[in-house]
Amino acid sequence: MYICLCLGVTTSTVQQAIDAGARSTRQVGEACGAGSVCGRCNHTIRTMIEAAAPDPPPSKPARLRRRWGRT
Amino acid sequence: MSLVLAADYRVPDFDHWWAGLAADLPRLPGLGAHHVVVYRSLQDASRVFVTIGVRERGPVDALLRSPLMLSWFDSAGVEEIPPMFAGEMVEKLDLSPQTEPPGAPAAGSTAAGAVIVAAIAPVGRPDRLRASVHAAAARLAASGVQRFWIYRALDDQAEVMILLQIATERQAGQWIRHPGAAAGFMAEVGAGAYPPLFVGRLVQAIEVRGD
Repeated sequence: MYICLCLGVTTSTVQQAIDAGARSTRQVGEACGAGSVCGRCNHTIRTMIEAAAPDPPPSKPARLRRRWGRT
Repeated sequence: MSLVLAADYRVPDFDHWWAGLAADLPRLPGLGAHHVVVYRSLQDASRVFVTIGVRERGPVDALLRSPLMLSWFDSAGVEEIPPMFAGEMVEKLDLSPQTEPPGAPAAGSTAAGAVIVAAIAPVGRPDRLRASVHAAAARLAASGVQRFWIYRALDDQAEVMILLQIATERQAGQWIRHPGAAAGFMAEVGAGAYPPLFVGRLVQAIEVRGD
């Protein structure tokens, strides 16, 4: 699919930028141009960044529960 | 071969957009468009799936960045531009040929009353998908699937758009719950930039005429 119509940037190109370390729409724009003209595709780019993000670390209470064996 | 553009998005006010669509259509021949097919979701009245058949092939990126394309979304009040699928039909299976609407060449246009299920997803090997659909043709027909289209993306040979015409909403629900071996692509639907499965009905298949 084409994500950025202004520059004709595709899903795979945006994904490559994310895989290479881009973690914000600005960084994706710097890497491949997507979202850097009108910005109206940035919501899709954000969705892709979030989908690629690792699961967040457990919250502090969850870590404590695990450490102290509390439920 | 005709290029097909497709997008799944929400229009803030469907009735307002639909009433004003006639004003947009005369501009579409400027894109080389010959048909526009509009489907509306059964679950979300603001969600539409639109395919645009384009006869005159040029560079796809040039087509997509045309001001006409952006004005298509502007006139619908769509602020966030959805991802656009651009591809060519590689498979059209008529499992119930008597449902063919006469003189309806538009991409994915369906018989009135039938339900359309649309998916855009990476499948790895589209040729394997085609083979599995052929192998499952009898079972698909028995479960109410009347027509099955596969379009392969131009920008990614592993990506497809799949349209199924299913006789009734109940059968569509059954197929979605138990899609079978020919629907491995369902696991990728809705991941990342790919839209969730679309289930809707044809609003209209419009032939675009240039004056």
